[in-house]
Amino acid sequence: MNSIPDLRIVLIDDNEIDLLLHERLIAIQQISRTVLSFNNANKALEYLSSNVTLPQIPPTVILLDIQMPEMDGFEFLRSFDSYPNKIKNQCYIIMVSSSLDFGDINRTNANPLVVRLLKKPLQPRELKEVIEGIFKEQ
Amino acid sequence: MKNSRIRILYIDDEVHNLNAFRASFRRSYEIYTATSALEGRQLLKGIDVHIIIADQKMPVTTGVEFFHDIKNVLPEPIRILLTGYTDVEDIIDAINKGHIYSYIKKPWDEHELHRTINNAYEIYNARKQLKEKIVELEKTNDELNRFIYSTSHDLRSPLMSVLGIINLSRLDNTVTDPMGYMDMIESCVVKLDGFIQKIIEYYRNSRLDVEYEKIDFALLLKDCTDTFKHQNTSIDFHVDVDQPFDFKGDTFRISVILNNLISNAVKYQKPDAQSPKVNLGVKVEPHKATIRIEDNGIGILSEHLNNIFKMFFRSKNNNKPGSGIGLYIVKEALTKIGGTISVDSQYGEGTQFEITIPNRNEFDS
Repeated sequence: MNSIPDLRIVLIDDNEIDLLLHERLIAIQQISRTVLSFNNANKALEYLSSNVTLPQIPPTVILLDIQMPEMDGFEFLRSFDSYPNKIKNQCYIIMVSSSLDFGDINRTNANPLVVRLLKKPLQPRELKEVIEGIFKEQ
Repeated sequence: MKNSRIRILYIDDEVHNLNAFRASFRRSYEIYTATSALEGRQLLKGIDVHIIIADQKMPVTTGVEFFHDIKNVLPEPIRILLTGYTDVEDIIDAINKGHIYSYIKKPWDEHELHRTINNAYEIYNARKQLKEKIVELEKTNDELNRFIYSTSHDLRSPLMSVLGIINLSRLDNTVTDPMGYMDMIESCVVKLDGFIQKIIEYYRNSRLDVEYEKIDFALLLKDCTDTFKHQNTSIDFHVDVDQPFDFKGDTFRISVILNNLISNAVKYQKPDAQSPKVNLGVKVEPHKATIRIEDNGIGILSEHLNNIFKMFFRSKNNNKPGSGIGLYIVKEALTKIGGTISVDSQYGEGTQFEITIPNRNEFDS
């Protein structure tokens, strides 16, 4: 994906194997060279808030797992919603879940911060198309 | 053993009655007394009694009035009315309204009163046990449901990782797999996931509230057939929807029903069939929808027809993978929405299911 050279991907998932899988998928599909993995939503929030000091925040796609211990995907969204627009406007959140739960599906659809909900296992082509779609609209 | 004794509150404005009662029954029961309804109520705040005996003729508040007052705040104790004169109307009225378990004439016969108290206590106990059982059952039911739900979810998540790994291994060609082991692993995982999804379906059918929405059957059937077409591309699907009226029903359950039946029609085709067919017909009337699902597949042995809707029943005349839960879910879902199902099958010829679902649309309102 050469059109967005400074695109970075933030992965948030408590499952280490899924983190590894998604890192590999992104590398193989050449979606981005910068991938930051967090196995804990709190740490990801910490990192994103530290970005506020950067002169310019690069476009960021966040792959956010729903079911996680401590802080789950929806709790992450609630905290992230309070972040300054300088950060929020650069972040595009794709929720990722193996859940078929209707409640979860409705909640993600209703959340304006979320671009899409993708089911695990992620389909390489679908992931690439969704991310390309985000930046095509710009 | 004090706690296991029967506790009785006796209210009477005549003190010598209270004393006589104490004298006769103190060895058998734990007895509390009060000289007025007001005093009785005060006492009840501090003590749980099993049986309340009250005199009918008391100044200020009569026995029947007292029982009527406490009925809602204190429904558990069994109420016995004691009355010196046979004021039949009052008593009949009180008994019919359910305030009172029994009445005893004054002066009481000691044996009769003993018997009445013991019977009343038995009823008290039976009611109490029933209540405890209901609470217990609700709790285990709830736990079971939550258990099913969370296991299904926790089981799915690592399975999806396995599928992801298989996908990845194909993508980067790092695994040499001349025997096709990866494909075998994948098909096993997909099968296992199918079972888990059935469990989730069952769970959601039993727990979710029924919700009525407008349903366009042509659209719904297209969704269903699109899902199954790729499983057997040689099948000729014929869909015939006759929907001149609006239809309202529970979308989730109706699609669960259709998906399970169509999945079966696709799955149980003859392996060497020349022209496998699945016919889907819908006819909507103002009061109901009738849906027919027909196939020319392997059919069902007539001796099995009565059992196919039972949980975990699987016909032995086929070696197709199945959980034996699909048709059970169909039946359960239909029960939830007030529908019916009938089946007709010729072994070796094919199977026809016909379901009817009430139309919840309110016309002209």
